[in-house]
Amino acid sequence: MKATFPHLLHLDIALGVLYPTLGVEIIAPPPITQKTIEIGVKLAPQNACFPLKVTLANFIEGIELGADTIFMAGGVGPCRFGYYGQIQRIILEDLGYDVNFVLLDHPRYGIRPFIRALQTMAGGRVLSSRVIKVASLAWKILRFSEELETERRALRAQVKDRQKLDEIVEGALEQLRQVNSEESFQAIKEGTMKKLNNLERKEIKDLIKVGIVGEIYIAQETKINFNVEKILGDLGAYVHNSVSTVEYVLHTLPFTRSQEKLEAWKLAKPYLKRFVGGEGIDTVGSTIRYAQQGFDGVVHLYPFTCMPEVVAKSILTTVSKDYDLPILHLAIDEHSGEAGLLTRVEAFVDVLERRKKLKKRKLEVS
Amino acid sequence: MKVGIPRGLLFYRFYALWKTFLEELGAEVVTSPPTNKNIIQQGLTYAVEEICFPAKVFLGHVLYLKDRVDLLFIPRVVSFHRKEYNCPKILALPDLARNLFSIPEERIIDDEINMREEGMRGWQKGFLNIGKHFTTKESKIMKALKLAEKAQKDYQANLKNGILPEDLIDHKNSLPSREGKIVLLGHTYLLSDSYINMNIAKKVNDLNYSVITPDMINEEKKRHYLSTIPKPSFWTISNEIIGTALYHLKERKPEVRGFIHLVSFECGPDSLVGELIERLLKREKESLPYLRLEIDEHTGEAGLVTRLEAFVDMMEWRYKNIESHVSSFASS
Repeated sequence: MKATFPHLLHLDIALGVLYPTLGVEIIAPPPITQKTIEIGVKLAPQNACFPLKVTLANFIEGIELGADTIFMAGGVGPCRFGYYGQIQRIILEDLGYDVNFVLLDHPRYGIRPFIRALQTMAGGRVLSSRVIKVASLAWKILRFSEELETERRALRAQVKDRQKLDEIVEGALEQLRQVNSEESFQAIKEGTMKKLNNLERKEIKDLIKVGIVGEIYIAQETKINFNVEKILGDLGAYVHNSVSTVEYVLHTLPFTRSQEKLEAWKLAKPYLKRFVGGEGIDTVGSTIRYAQQGFDGVVHLYPFTCMPEVVAKSILTTVSKDYDLPILHLAIDEHSGEAGLLTRVEAFVDVLERRKKLKKRKLEVS
Repeated sequence: MKVGIPRGLLFYRFYALWKTFLEELGAEVVTSPPTNKNIIQQGLTYAVEEICFPAKVFLGHVLYLKDRVDLLFIPRVVSFHRKEYNCPKILALPDLARNLFSIPEERIIDDEINMREEGMRGWQKGFLNIGKHFTTKESKIMKALKLAEKAQKDYQANLKNGILPEDLIDHKNSLPSREGKIVLLGHTYLLSDSYINMNIAKKVNDLNYSVITPDMINEEKKRHYLSTIPKPSFWTISNEIIGTALYHLKERKPEVRGFIHLVSFECGPDSLVGELIERLLKREKESLPYLRLEIDEHTGEAGLVTRLEAFVDMMEWRYKNIESHVSSFASS
């Protein structure tokens, strides 16, 4: 069995560490490029949301590299993600690919298929102490890869040498792929954090702060969202992203509910009273949290026609007014163009800077 | 007390139930008029541009009713079938209306009806909460619900006999029955609002065919055929569409000549379910012709008519040359 899986930011690093121990050979799909997007657009339903198209193309590119099995997760709705697997499987079948589509769906669709899928994904291994050890290491790596990105977003506007920043982060991510023990992981972690702390900083008086909210895939996958966080950082903004795979995974288990998410849901309540699928309510709640934390603006990233995010967008109009917080909505799909997006982000940052200056002047006068 | 029901989305499905229930509780029920240009215009002006066309139309109806009634009836119908959902936009409907038009919370009946986990208990709980806006007596509410459910049963029986919801609600004459039939797939709110679907049932009828909609198919049949696919979707209305398509695919009736699937451009569920149906039909040997028609506020009537006529031509040609190898699929 050679299995492939969908890309989601640095998920492939963690899985790459985990899988050799499980005795399952995995083939990571090649990095997402324009070609990937073209494959997805050609084969997926025209009006499906963008992540379905890209992940379908991941599978096909993985199969071309020799994979014969696909690992995918399912869901219970109401967001379309939970039905991706069914549609992708039937498309691959119609294309004539002879692959084993292993779908880890919610136990409510049958406890036996759930356990069978889980067993296949775990290589049929029982939970030995060795497996648990490596699984926990892979989890830590996933976590740290997110922390690295958090640092990069926060620091880009503040460091003198941005190229150096990228080199440190990219270098660390490459090193993480080779990790084989807790000790080597800790060494990389400490070494990288030290290097980041030692980076020379600029002196900035009024650093503008921008929060990112939105759908889990588009808001995180920099290869798809034109790396909006880098654009923002290069324009001099401190960036924070509220979307995290780690929090998402934690939240799916009843005993590890994400505190961050629960807090956001509570904040969203006056505007949106219930969960509407995907990250709809998180988007509303996180935006309010950014407003309360004194951020200057929020960028909302989501796939074009995404149902929960369209609901959120509709409601954010009111939030934006109530909290006097500028929000830039960026819907991403295969028709998005980099130049247009860049212009909009630049204009947005201009607005934020001017607003900040105006506010300051008003304070000085009064 | 005047209670307004916006004429859109689930209105066409639960019309008899909601109206009877509210009236039994002593409310004066006001429904907005059939969709017109002005209502659509209002919806388009205020709603976010990316929300689906039927949702925009619904919001237009809300705006029409807003200052004409005491209370707006926009229940949060999370689910009306066990283990299933409605789409996120329907889940958030009262919130969308409230935020968009700054309607005070107490002026919207937005209680949740949710059968997903609890089945009938969730249903009754929802109506009990709605009833409490009018009376404190639980027995009175339950009695009203009983009567409402009976009215709904009659309404659905009429729909099953081939009467379109609009004709029932507005007491209009039904279209003459034709010998040949076309299965018209789609969400009830799209199939029932003849203004936004450009009167497709009439247009098909003028081409000498009657339509069969999911409302006209036996619930058990739909569910039976739905269960033949590996995993049904989690959207109730979409599941009914899949069930209807498979029913007519497997239990072939000689008078049924083809499928037309009416979808709104930004409909999330239908973007996947439409693909699924199209592929399942394609896999069938000697399938029936299938046309997917996408509708939104930019759809022109002339274009729709041309495509409909071309499809019917093709369908008839195929019917006469049933053994041909011509591909039977058209989609936009």
